[in-house]
Amino acid sequence: MKYKSQRVAYLFFALSLTLFSLQIIYGFIMGFAHMGYDVLHDLIPFNAARATHLNLLVVWLLSGFMGAAYYIIPAEAEREIWSEKLAIVQWAALALTGVTAIVGFHFGWWEGRKFLEIPRPLDYLVVIDVLAFIFNVGMTALNGKRFTTTSIVLLLGLTAAALLYLPGMITFESQVLDSYFRWWVVHLWVEGVWELIMGGIMAFLLIQLTGVDREVIEKWLYVIVGFTFLSGILGIGHHYYYIGTPEYWLWIGGIFSALEPLAFLGMALYAVGMARLGGMNHPNRIALFWTVGCGIMSFVGAGFLGIAHTIPQVNIWTHGTLITAMHGHLAFWGAYVMIVLAMIAYAMPQMTGRKLYTGWLPEAAFWVSNIGMLGMTGAFAVAGVTQVYMERRIGMDFMAVQDAVQVHFGGVVLAATLLSIGIGMYIWNFVQYGLPNDEAVLSDS
Amino acid sequence: MLSKSQARWFFVGGTVFFFAIFLFLTFDTLREIPARQNSEAMTESVVRGKHLWDAKNCMGCHTILGEGAYYAPELTRVVERRGKEWIAIFLRDPEAMFPGQRRMTQYDFSEGEIQDVVAFLDWIGGIDTNGFPATPDLGRALVVAIEAPTTAPEYFGTVCVACHTVAGSGGTVGPALDGVGNRMTRAELDRWLSDPQAVKPGTAMPNLSLPDTTRGELVDWLVSLR
Ligand code: HEC
Ligand code: HEC
Ligand code: HEM
Ligand SMILES: [Fe+2]
Repeated sequence: MKYKSQRVAYLFFALSLTLFSLQIIYGFIMGFAHMGYDVLHDLIPFNAARATHLNLLVVWLLSGFMGAAYYIIPAEAEREIWSEKLAIVQWAALALTGVTAIVGFHFGWWEGRKFLEIPRPLDYLVVIDVLAFIFNVGMTALNGKRFTTTSIVLLLGLTAAALLYLPGMITFESQVLDSYFRWWVVHLWVEGVWELIMGGIMAFLLIQLTGVDREVIEKWLYVIVGFTFLSGILGIGHHYYYIGTPEYWLWIGGIFSALEPLAFLGMALYAVGMARLGGMNHPNRIALFWTVGCGIMSFVGAGFLGIAHTIPQVNIWTHGTLITAMHGHLAFWGAYVMIVLAMIAYAMPQMTGRKLYTGWLPEAAFWVSNIGMLGMTGAFAVAGVTQVYMERRIGMDFMAVQDAVQVHFGGVVLAATLLSIGIGMYIWNFVQYGLPNDEAVLSDS
Repeated sequence: MLSKSQARWFFVGGTVFFFAIFLFLTFDTLREIPARQNSEAMTESVVRGKHLWDAKNCMGCHTILGEGAYYAPELTRVVERRGKEWIAIFLRDPEAMFPGQRRMTQYDFSEGEIQDVVAFLDWIGGIDTNGFPATPDLGRALVVAIEAPTTAPEYFGTVCVACHTVAGSGGTVGPALDGVGNRMTRAELDRWLSDPQAVKPGTAMPNLSLPDTTRGELVDWLVSLR
């Protein structure tokens, strides 16, 4: 760590991991409910657990992105953060807003719109908070010694993500229009601007960890995010097949979303390629594991499992089934969870000056959590395929089919236990690092 | 070889170009939606129903237009599948209809609110969704459609059949009603339908608060099942 103020990233990372743990707990509540043990129904009905699970994910990933930006932008711009105080205030506000929203869900204070359940008054707080954040990192970058491509892509992603939150705040009386603009947020985030954020963080990590020339890494970064938008913007059509929007979306969405995996394939080849080019010599091997793993798993989860149900002829059967849950889990994990965990794995030794990246613990955390997540995906897949055939293609009753797939949720819960053990190890490693300290400043790159 | 500035232009150019197309398509879509969603049928009741739908976060368990959660049935075509009357009775007490099954929240909706939710679901059912949800294509022969005999009163076909079979078709929550006319007298049937709880406390058969004429028709028909 070169600049003292980079340490604020720690606050964001700690918040991320705390909320991540909570998210997993709510996941278990739903897993058990699907198995037939909805024992908490009267306290936390399924829809409350679900809103909490999803929004915790969004908030902790945002917190992770913010932490990453507070670490990366000063390093790239070669100066301290514009205002460390603002960063701390903005962190506290994010934590408070997030926690208020989560608590509110348990009392029915929400909007019943998947992923955008946060009630309107809190939406405004989120927007103000994100603007303060962007202002802070933006000023850091603008007043820095250099404005690198990595910073540009990262800032562009963050700013666009903030702007795209707005269409989700318009009120509609029609379910169709509501849905149409809800996807502007959800789809254009995860298959658009968040990929810029992911790409920016990945480029930074690859530059630091592989020693490959910055020019080469940043050139390919442009190519990959170019592919993202080329396919991803019109790829939104895969959500406009069956919600009351015109028929031309069937082929526009089909063609362009089928091209989306190219961007993720690019991301995977990029990470693996640069790691090979640079040799795996950096002592923090585990950070490189998470980085390269992110490239590969995002291709599997988003690219491969995405294309598996994105063609309209397939989607007509899978739309609104557990197949979507299968894909959603591995896509979020591979692309966004892993990039945040990679960033934390890289930044912790830098911020604390301790080199706790060797030994069995961090490596076991990586393998166990990944195997757990793959297992969950597999269990969702079996349940999803069964549902598609029995309910959608044969025409059996919904609940009869749910009873038939209950057993696969036993599989989901078992695999989720493995995942939790892995994440537990990761968090234990994080705690062992302790707090950032001033001696770490300037210690090494 | 590709240079960095060429790569940058590829990114900027592609993004601007495709975003412009997207805006144009959005413009066209917004123009076409009113006809496809049948905007004229969107009464105030439908809009109130939509607000209830959001306020209760029904989408946190159900899917509608295929979007939402995968814990409870798809509701896009639920009015076609179950009928308005059945849905209204169901919403008054969801657990009474499917005792012992996966639980839905008990909302204490007023009658007006129930009508609004039903109106909303009815409106949803009329949207042109390009064929979603598709008709099952593999097992048509396997599935016995839930249909009441043609002689049955309409009310039987929309509500009772969800729990009772007659001539092999219907739900299995309650007993089959074939030959019920041999087991029960007219008076017994009438008393049972007026208030099942009074006859057999704790029974899973809900009190449907039937109007007298409907009850009369049903009893006439049930007595004839011998
Ligand atoms: C929610 C499911 C449900 C609905 C809807 C329902 N019933 Fe029932 N019904 C039952 C159950 C369960 C029983 C068995 C009650 C018991 O023995 O405790 C029953 C019992 C009966 C019986 C007595 C049958 C016998 O052989 O003892 C009759 C008659 C009957 N229902 C008629 C009707 C009619 C007519 C309707 C429509 C107006 C109707 N039910 C709607 C669940 C339902
Ligand atoms: C906690 C989860 C949950 C919530 C919230 C919920 N439901 Fe349900 N709902 C269910 C379950 C589970 C079933 C299926 C019950 C069964 O078949 O045993 C169901 C069934 C239904 C059905 C009957 C569908 C059919 O085809 O049989 C309708 C209609 C319905 N719900 C409407 C609503 C509406 C309207 C709301 C919001 C006001 C809502 N539900 C909220 C869980 C939920
Ligand atoms: C990291 C990137 C991605 C993430 C995080 C992600 C996540 C998700 C999530 C959470 C959903 C469910 C949304 C909802 O119902 O509200 C979803 C739906 C979907 N995704 Fe992705 N996805 C990603 C990339 C992709 C790609 C590249 C494709 C196509 C190749 C794709 C295809 C689909 C399709 C077709 C659906 C709709 C399923 C349906 O409702 O029928 N996704 N995605
Ligand atoms: Fe998408």
